[in-house]
Amino acid sequence: MITCDQITVSYGRTIAAERVTFDVGPGEILGLLGPNGAGKTSVIRALTTILEPTSGSAWIDGCRLTDAPAVRSRIGVLPESSGYPTARSAHEVLRFHGRLFGMDRSAAMDRADELLELVGLHDQRDARVSTFSRGMRQRLGIARALMNRPRALFLDEPTLGLDPAGKQEILTFLREEAIAGGGAVVLCSHLLDEVERVCDRVAIMHEGRVVADGSVAAVVASARVLGGARVDVRPPAVPTTVEAINEVEGMRATCRTGSAGRIDVDFKPNGPAMADLAHELGRRRLDFTALEARGARLSDAFLQLTGATGEVLAS
Amino acid sequence: MTARTTAGWQVVAVQELRDLWRSTKGLSVLFGFTVLLSAMAYAAASEADLNLLDSRESVGLVGQAAIALGALAALVVSADAISGERERGTLESILVTPLSRRDLVIGKLVAASTMWLAAVAVAVPYLATMGRGPGISLDAVLTVCLAGSLAAAALTALGLAISAVSYSNRASLAASVALLILLAAPSQLPAITTRSTLGSILIKANPVAAGMRLTDQVLVKQHSWSSQWTLLLAPAIAAVVLTGLAVRMSRRLELGDSR
Repeated sequence: MITCDQITVSYGRTIAAERVTFDVGPGEILGLLGPNGAGKTSVIRALTTILEPTSGSAWIDGCRLTDAPAVRSRIGVLPESSGYPTARSAHEVLRFHGRLFGMDRSAAMDRADELLELVGLHDQRDARVSTFSRGMRQRLGIARALMNRPRALFLDEPTLGLDPAGKQEILTFLREEAIAGGGAVVLCSHLLDEVERVCDRVAIMHEGRVVADGSVAAVVASARVLGGARVDVRPPAVPTTVEAINEVEGMRATCRTGSAGRIDVDFKPNGPAMADLAHELGRRRLDFTALEARGARLSDAFLQLTGATGEVLAS
Repeated sequence: MTARTTAGWQVVAVQELRDLWRSTKGLSVLFGFTVLLSAMAYAAASEADLNLLDSRESVGLVGQAAIALGALAALVVSADAISGERERGTLESILVTPLSRRDLVIGKLVAASTMWLAAVAVAVPYLATMGRGPGISLDAVLTVCLAGSLAAAALTALGLAISAVSYSNRASLAASVALLILLAAPSQLPAITTRSTLGSILIKANPVAAGMRLTDQVLVKQHSWSSQWTLLLAPAIAAVVLTGLAVRMSRRLELGDSR
């Protein structure tokens, strides 16, 4: 459905994305990940015909990228910092967008009503966008991206500014509705937990290149950070637990400020392992709420592959 | 998908018209135009009543003001057309639709042009009433409509072309207004300067100054239309060339920000 073949995007001498290659099949959601400046938005803009790639080629639903009108009629886009005409109503925004895709007036009205219902904004159909919260605008943006029943959907930070319930709602919606017609979705997000939950595959970008591509499990496995663990304890118990773990030969425990009771444990090479840590915690009667091997999550793979910091992930 | 029944530029123009006239933007610009023109008309009529100004001159003055202010109003609207979308972050969602850049620019051009039409609708009663005394109502209305429409068309296209390449709305507006002032300035040169060959060329080649000069020649100096028609050449050529330029520049329409 989406084939990106060796796409390079440059701004003058600066290369934003280099030889980026990935495929997204029908009904598949690809998470395009990377720290700020990794080149994700440049790739999205190249695939949505906003930018002309310096080299490489791509196909959307069988249409070559160079056939811009054909590509545009097959894609839906929620841009990263999408603005909205605040003086228009939600229904008007969608209707106008539909008309730009060549729908006649009544078809655009019907589709707008259908989508407002789907994203839970039907009660606000005639309200001006200026009265909308950030979350409502994001939902309207997703509805706008779906207006033309796209074969390929590009969503740049779709849950930005949403509360947890709103995020959950949008992700469920994406999973169930956006790909219902067999289209493909490319989802850019900094929130790795949600990517892990909703995406079939991920491509991790770093300094303009794709450094990992595959199923979430495969990417996590390929970048597995061996020799580490994560222990969650109640915040008052952090100093005691860190001290106790550090007394064990071959283990080093650290707790970053503001990590709310999360302790990272490093194991010396050829030294102790998870079982030893669990045994030690039990033997010393140290209470903990969670214990997991570091490297088992997408966020660990991301950190390993991009060298990003926790601050980047949190941004 | 349903087959397209309306051209893309028409869809854009209709939506832009709604945005312009339903919001405070269009109405406030028109209100500003009306206040300024009213003040000019009142001052000119008062001076004519006191015999400080010939009644023909007062009509000419109001006609020139209508052309300059009406063109300014149209320019203000068109200068915001693309750079405003870019600044508000709404341009990208339009550029990813099958709507051609050309249709986008033409639609916006059509909508922005209605600002001049509204300005003319406001100016006509003033010109008709003031022109009744010296018996030049029809000439006053015709001169302002013709010369003003051509000058306004040229400036609307110019504003849109500047807006298409400006990444900031303020820069677009400032550049457009500065150009208008530059174009209107020669009409205020002393008569002795404009009688020279260079002065005459300066006026005739300038769409705004030529339009204002035509108003002066026909309404105040009572020259016939047939002897002054060459003053319409510059506005007509500028309207065609600048509209063509704006449409041509649409091909290079970019989002503006990188990454």
